[in-house]
Amino acid sequence: MELGRLEYLQALVTEFQVTDSTGNKRRCSLALSVSSVSSHTRLFSLAEAKEQVLANLANFAYDPSNYEYLRQLQVLDLFLDMLTEDNETLVEFAMGGLCNLCLDKTNKEYILAANGVDPIINCLSSSNEETVVSAVTTLMFLTTPRSRAQTTALPVVECMLRFSLSANTRLSNLASIFLQDYCSPPQVEEARNLSRHTAVGIPLPKD
Amino acid sequence: QVYTINLESRYLLIQGVPALGVMKELVEQFALYGAIEEYHALDEYPAEQFTEVYLIKFKKLQCARVAKKKMDERSFFGSLLHVCYAPEFETVQETREKLQDRRKYIAKATNQRDCFVLKKVEGPRKTASKNSEHDCPWSTSESHVASNWDPSCCTSSPGVSHNTAYPAGNQNQSLLTSPHYGNNCAEIAGYFGQNTSLTPGVHPGGHTPPASLMQQRMVPAYNGIDRFMPRTTHLQERKRKREEGNKFSLIGTSEDSTEVVVGPQLPEIPKVDMDDESLNTSATLIRNKLKEVADSVSTTSVEKPESSSAKPLVKQRRRI
Repeated sequence: MELGRLEYLQALVTEFQVTDSTGNKRRCSLALSVSSVSSHTRLFSLAEAKEQVLANLANFAYDPSNYEYLRQLQVLDLFLDMLTEDNETLVEFAMGGLCNLCLDKTNKEYILAANGVDPIINCLSSSNEETVVSAVTTLMFLTTPRSRAQTTALPVVECMLRFSLSANTRLSNLASIFLQDYCSPPQVEEARNLSRHTAVGIPLPKD
Repeated sequence: QVYTINLESRYLLIQGVPALGVMKELVEQFALYGAIEEYHALDEYPAEQFTEVYLIKFKKLQCARVAKKKMDERSFFGSLLHVCYAPEFETVQETREKLQDRRKYIAKATNQRDCFVLKKVEGPRKTASKNSEHDCPWSTSESHVASNWDPSCCTSSPGVSHNTAYPAGNQNQSLLTSPHYGNNCAEIAGYFGQNTSLTPGVHPGGHTPPASLMQQRMVPAYNGIDRFMPRTTHLQERKRKREEGNKFSLIGTSEDSTEVVVGPQLPEIPKVDMDDESLNTSATLIRNKLKEVADSVSTTSVEKPESSSAKPLVKQRRRI
């Protein structure tokens, strides 16, 4: 049964080349064969199929024994690519996937080297609660002495300050941990001073 | 639905409990899956008529995971239970610990990817204190509701090589880089990527390298093979190539033209590129080992010892 699922996934994750607007070939690994979603009798739209595959991959990303396999399939790139999609669900699943696998050292370095921090920071402004929560955790997990400057940049700390006041316990807990464990007191102080003067900031996600 | 560490929790919310005064039985039922730290009814939580909502807090996340999986959508006194995680009940410290545990788990899992962890192992294994209270995460087989994997082992690295080649070449290992995570020594253990190199000198922070692990038995990882499709394929490929090599052993020519070939030629070990650094490394090491064995014995009698020494290697290789 498990073998079948893996085969299923393997069949779905196919590479195809997409030519984007600037004429560059962008490599994107994603499911196209909707018909192979055979266990369900109703037809899937392409979007739904994509979501399904992404969800499966993100869940696989929870188990470290799959990491090498996922790297081979370039799923890390896939997750990073999906962060800029319009489809909120895809972003949510991709962010979840990254959150699941970013603790592994190799994965972490890969994501950092691929400039993954910026799109993740952007996810902090998502209106999707899961996306934001995953993004906060991922930033924590990705913080290294080298990446610290990026992951705890002033706007980020500012954002976390606001999150820490949220009525959403999950979010406020995570933001508090971020501030306490990953930011230095001067950093927090600086952000606090800044937010006292500016009204605009990264909005809290809708519940 | 995607499950992340943020979604999971030691706290479980149980809805649909029939309002028949069955709290005791409910808790007893859930306690089958692990120690329960706290439980109480949530009177203010919206509930369907004639049902109650309960909060149960497990001591360990794994237990909550299993309990959720087993008890969700289960009938209980005629009513269908709905069980879900309730991370919103966590305190900051609890969330913090949850994340730390996840860190440790990954560090362990990627550190010793070739070992089987049995419940007993935890004692002799690490002398470093940080894992002592942490349950072997992958000894409980239900790690994931959604993915339905049975992660009872970590199998991705070539386990075989450790028994034969471990003392040999660690040169090409990416060893520990400088500890990146000063505040979390779980990361210091680092990720070895290939053969888990245990060069004790490199471990800072007093983290004892799990040398004892290497000597521990290599438990066959058959269920691991199923999960790792590419590996199985490689294994089969290699097996096939070896067999093909054997086929030609009687008629093939020796590449070593200087050698006088007496009797059937030994099967040439196929130089397979397995497309995977770690496998290639171990394959090279095994090949070298075999060459060593081959060289140290005379050509006429080589076959027997070779085959007998190859046999255990072959057997072990299958265990990956």
